Amino acid sequence: MMLDQILCIDDDPITLMLCKKVIAKSSFSNEIITSQNGEEALSYFNTIKYTNNKNKQIPQPQLIFLDLNMPVMGGWEFLDYFNSEEFSEFNTIKVVVLSSTIDPEDLEKSKQYPMVIDFLSKPISQSMLEYLKNKLK
Amino acid sequence: MKSKTNQVIIIYILISMFVAIVSHKLLLQYISNEKLPFYTFTRDILFIFFTGIIFKLILSKNDNRNIATFEKIKNSNNEIKQSNEKYDIVAKATSDTIWDWKIEDDNFSWNKGIENIFGYKQEEVGENSTWWFDKIHPEDSIKMSIKLYSFIEQKTEKWQDQYRFRCSDNSYKYVLDRGFLLKDENGKAIRMIGAIQDITKQKEEEQRLKLLETVITQSKDSIIITEADSIDAKIPNIIYVNPAFSIMSGYESDEIIGKSPDLFNSPNSDVSELEKLLKAIKNKEECLIETISYTKNKDEYWVRLSMIPIYNADNELSHWISIQRDITEEKKQEKEKEQLIRELTQNNKDLKQFSYITSHNLRAPLSNLTGLLNLIEDITIEDQELKEILSGFNKSTHQLNDTINDLVKVIIIKDNPSIKKEAVLIKEIFENVFSQLNFQIELYKPIIKLNFEKVSIINTNKAYIESILLNLLTNSIKYKSENRKLKITITTEEIDDTAVLIFKDNGIGIDLARNKDKVFGLYQRFHNYPDSKGLGLYLVKSQVETMGGTIDIESEVNKGTTFTLTFKNKQ
Repeated sequence: MMLDQILCIDDDPITLMLCKKVIAKSSFSNEIITSQNGEEALSYFNTIKYTNNKNKQIPQPQLIFLDLNMPVMGGWEFLDYFNSEEFSEFNTIKVVVLSSTIDPEDLEKSKQYPMVIDFLSKPISQSMLEYLKNKLK
Repeated sequence: MKSKTNQVIIIYILISMFVAIVSHKLLLQYISNEKLPFYTFTRDILFIFFTGIIFKLILSKNDNRNIATFEKIKNSNNEIKQSNEKYDIVAKATSDTIWDWKIEDDNFSWNKGIENIFGYKQEEVGENSTWWFDKIHPEDSIKMSIKLYSFIEQKTEKWQDQYRFRCSDNSYKYVLDRGFLLKDENGKAIRMIGAIQDITKQKEEEQRLKLLETVITQSKDSIIITEADSIDAKIPNIIYVNPAFSIMSGYESDEIIGKSPDLFNSPNSDVSELEKLLKAIKNKEECLIETISYTKNKDEYWVRLSMIPIYNADNELSHWISIQRDITEEKKQEKEKEQLIRELTQNNKDLKQFSYITSHNLRAPLSNLTGLLNLIEDITIEDQELKEILSGFNKSTHQLNDTINDLVKVIIIKDNPSIKKEAVLIKEIFENVFSQLNFQIELYKPIIKLNFEKVSIINTNKAYIESILLNLLTNSIKYKSENRKLKITITTEEIDDTAVLIFKDNGIGIDLARNKDKVFGLYQRFHNYPDSKGLGLYLVKSQVETMGGTIDIESEVNKGTTFTLTFKNKQ
């Protein structure tokens, strides 16, 4: 099974580069979209919303890899907006938190968001993607 | 009586002599000789008859007088007898010891009380006042005799005195002695009668109460006694304050008695505490509050105040007792302590946050490095030099990764003071650990002896105990002796309520004489091995202690090392 589109949100260009390469290698997704922070990601979803209203369909990501610590808008703030009524049409999109954090409170906090299906530690790897593939089946 | 009898007889003799002579003369003159015997006889008869009548008159009159006298005497005798009986009854019935002192003869007598109360037998009791004075306690005798003689000389109206009277067993009894004087027609004191009452019990009670009273008067805590009932929902009025209260509040007792303790309230008093107090007073319940009070000079002080209801024998509320302590200093220290704790907590929180951020910021680029190196693994590299460089790159990156992961573990342990524990089968843990170390065990083939017969289950955190045993085993393998085959013995024991795990090897050991206090420290390395980070034992100790256990080490260079881990097994 291969996904059509996934969205990676991370401020670190190296991490994004790594994501692209590993995902391509494991044939995890056809298309990889990236955003440098939560705000950029939200504006991407707003674009989709607008365009859809004009009866012109744009494909939406099926999965989001989300970093937590980012400038402008971090992962938590993004999740708060994304979880709100405003973005309810995207509530089937699943989120995987991909972070370097070790604070146990972050793990607990992530459980409050229904769309977060997993909390994984960087770096992204082929075995991780295999595991997610099984989980998404 | 006798003189009366003589009088009567003399009168009788004189009268009868006169009659006898007159009748004899008349007979001689008028009567002839032949008829003389007849007339003499008649005369004698008449004479006897006549004197008989006179006797009768005199005697019956006398008789009447005698009967009257006798009656009078009999009556007064009865009165005396009754009075004596009454005296005896009273003397017997009274618990007092009665004494009777005839002052002029210095004759002194006692009733039974001297034996019953003071233990002196009849023969031991002296018959003069010296004996009495002798028994009076030397400290009391001078004061007592001054008062007594001033009474006898009638300078004072009444006499009663308290003194100590010595008993036959040489102990002293406190007595109350009361007496009155009998005077002759000239008003001179001739006799004194007294009653001694044993007041030892009252006196002892009095002294006991005095002693108890010192608790109140000498106490450093303030003590207030108030009335039972409150007026206008105030605290009831004060009827007593002790000296400590005056020192604490600045109010003298006469300034404050009859007033309500309400006037100590300051604008900063704790309103809810005062309400608690008033409610307790309304419900007649004991209560304890802490509040700010005013002194007379309107200085504020912190006071801890209890209010205790006192009930009388009829179970009615009679008073309230309030004990108060100035806790200003205590409060100040408490405040400082709270401030310190707040600061420390904040510092700790900041440091924790700092360590999480630092670790995150280190891990983020490191994970990129690891990820990139993983990608390189799939690329074939022809250039030998580049291959060598990349291999060094790879090793260093993984070593850095391991170190940071260990540090992360430490941070998480330190942040988790209480950890979830469960019953863990020791055998299972070892199976897991051995499978993780399979490669090294196959390589060095150590002799491993396990004995978990005595304790097979311990109450612990599974992940932690695994990490602990993995660390200890890795250490044993890492620091084995080159000269002999590695031998590891692991046993469990039960001591009281604790499970003890003993982990022993025959490796190169640690010089504890030099390093005892550093063994479990952070970044302490004792052997120059390339992959030693100085974290293992620090981590082990942290994990053991987080689970409420202890760890001890015994080691001898070139002989081996023994770790003793103790866990509370019942929880």
